[in-house]
Amino acid sequence: MIKIKIKCFSQVRYAMGKDEIIMDIEVGSTTSDLESFIIEKVEGKLDNISLRVAVNQKYVQGSIELKDGDEVAFIPPVQGG
Amino acid sequence: MIIVKIIKGPLTPFPSNDDRNQDGAELTFNGRVRDTEHGRDLDALEYEQYEGMAKAELTKLASEMCQKFPISDLFCKHRMGRVEIGETSLHVSIWSKHRKEAIEAMDNFIKELKIRVPIWKWAILTDGTKVPSACVHD
Repeated sequence: MIKIKIKCFSQVRYAMGKDEIIMDIEVGSTTSDLESFIIEKVEGKLDNISLRVAVNQKYVQGSIELKDGDEVAFIPPVQGG
Repeated sequence: MIIVKIIKGPLTPFPSNDDRNQDGAELTFNGRVRDTEHGRDLDALEYEQYEGMAKAELTKLASEMCQKFPISDLFCKHRMGRVEIGETSLHVSIWSKHRKEAIEAMDNFIKELKIRVPIWKWAILTDGTKVPSACVHD
């Protein structure tokens, strides 16, 4: 198992009810696996919300394998300004 | 030169400057909080950031604008936390030789900011409830 941290913002934080989750996941797990877990957990509350993924504070394209200690954020549409 | 600041609390604008001999344009933008959002009355907005990544993305974006457009300086301050109706949440100041490049750089900078810088708004409604803002920008 590896330990990762999920940072939650805006609609994700609202749906999850927390701003940070630390969890153990299987070696070889990917950002897609984690996103599916989150989507399932919130039971429809993130439907129609597009999420981008950041790993260790950098946007990533597609699904990537996670490593021990990674920080992952599923980023809903941003709203600065 | 680039200055990017993400701050909590009241925002002090970047000072003007009468001593620049090469820059004919000083363009300033202040984004302010409106009192309604999609028909809902607001008491305030509360800004949230992905700490670390927000400043890094904003700095990267400012740097890209300075490379893409012939501007001299781009200064930006973005507030976090509660911002009252009418107050400035975003302040940008761009200096350039001529106005055209400053206007284009400003438009591009703000458009990109609203696409990629991980900052969000929470709507504080007049009944006291706090919900993610429904605001999506063009």
